[in-house]
Amino acid sequence: MRIIGPDELVFGVDNILDCQAFLADYGLTENGPGCFEALDRTAIVLRDKDDPSLPPPLATATRLRETVWGVEDQATLDAIAADLSRDRDVVVEPTGRLRTVDDAGFRIAFQITRRVKLDLPPERINSPGAAPGRAANEIGADEDAAARPRTLSHIVYFVPDMDRMANFYIDRLGFVITDKFTNTGPFLRPQANDDHHVLFMIQTPDYMQGLEHLAFHMQGPTELMLAGSRMVKKGYESFWGPGRHKFGSNWFWYFNSPMGAHVEFDADMDKHDGDWTMREVPMSKEAAQLFLFENVAKWAPGGPPPGKG
Amino acid sequence: MTPLCRLDDIPDGSAVGALPDARGRDAVVLVRRGDRVFAWVNNCPHYDRAPLGWRKDAFLNGDGTRILCAAHGALFRIEDGICEIGPCLGQGLTPVSVIISEGTVCLAG
Repeated sequence: MRIIGPDELVFGVDNILDCQAFLADYGLTENGPGCFEALDRTAIVLRDKDDPSLPPPLATATRLRETVWGVEDQATLDAIAADLSRDRDVVVEPTGRLRTVDDAGFRIAFQITRRVKLDLPPERINSPGAAPGRAANEIGADEDAAARPRTLSHIVYFVPDMDRMANFYIDRLGFVITDKFTNTGPFLRPQANDDHHVLFMIQTPDYMQGLEHLAFHMQGPTELMLAGSRMVKKGYESFWGPGRHKFGSNWFWYFNSPMGAHVEFDADMDKHDGDWTMREVPMSKEAAQLFLFENVAKWAPGGPPPGKG
Repeated sequence: MTPLCRLDDIPDGSAVGALPDARGRDAVVLVRRGDRVFAWVNNCPHYDRAPLGWRKDAFLNGDGTRILCAAHGALFRIEDGICEIGPCLGQGLTPVSVIISEGTVCLAG
């Protein structure tokens, strides 16, 4: 079952102008009304909360209305439709997109992926003892770098029953668990994606069900720092980071957003295959990150103390 | 009395942040309704380090009727700080006591 990852996240909001401004400043590009794309065309879609084209909302505070998963081929769509229609309604739209619901009640959809293949340079670094990452005279610090999100990386749900939720994605859609926080939730990746996780979940009371955060991959840690610093400079509210997670190894920087969910920049996530053995630890501050920093005002060193020069 | 801002600096029906810490993060949210100002600690009861807004002075929902937590979408009543929907359902924002003195909003006491 060749599911790649989240292609689109659809929100129903009461503050669409604020959300549009946020996503543009975050680095996505508007392509069509309310559709904000990363470089590979994965997207956040904004609609007014009363838009009749939206699936109904959950009874909670979340403004996420639909998660659209990208798959590689029609055979995968056919397999999903055949299996899920055994115990729930699956609507096949004229475009071929399937729309249904998961076992926690989140509205989900499946489509032949809208992703375009990227061919872009990685972050290049120079490490003593290794071949240089950059040629002589090639500069690493570019204040004017575009710092655009490359692709929709992962989503994290608050769910009332993490085992039931995880089993749906494992048993029905072929996801595998890469790592797990005991009593919190598992990290999952689908078969057509080697990223450590495209889906993580956090066990919560049912009145909290919703989207905890979404994340896009950046080129690397430098671009992540640059993009996050620009957000802070524009007055946006940093929530957590920059730092580096342990599970997944990804660098992170989370911001509050007018969509009522955290929005993360991430970079340099681990890749896995079938040889990987799942790790499991209790959630803790130590387990949640390798290190954590906070942005501070810029500063410059000088020579003598002020007034003595 | 610690002055926070001029009443006229808060557009009626809007909110502003006040009392920035050393990192520039506003400790207090002020919401103006006519000649009244409702003041709350700028932190969602969900976590111990969860500022409410998404951008400087951006604290309200789309129609300005509730304080929005931009972390997970919780909505709080402006007048009494009670969470009506969201992760901290039934809990409340922590009040800050303010007075308006000669057109200036000040911390009381």
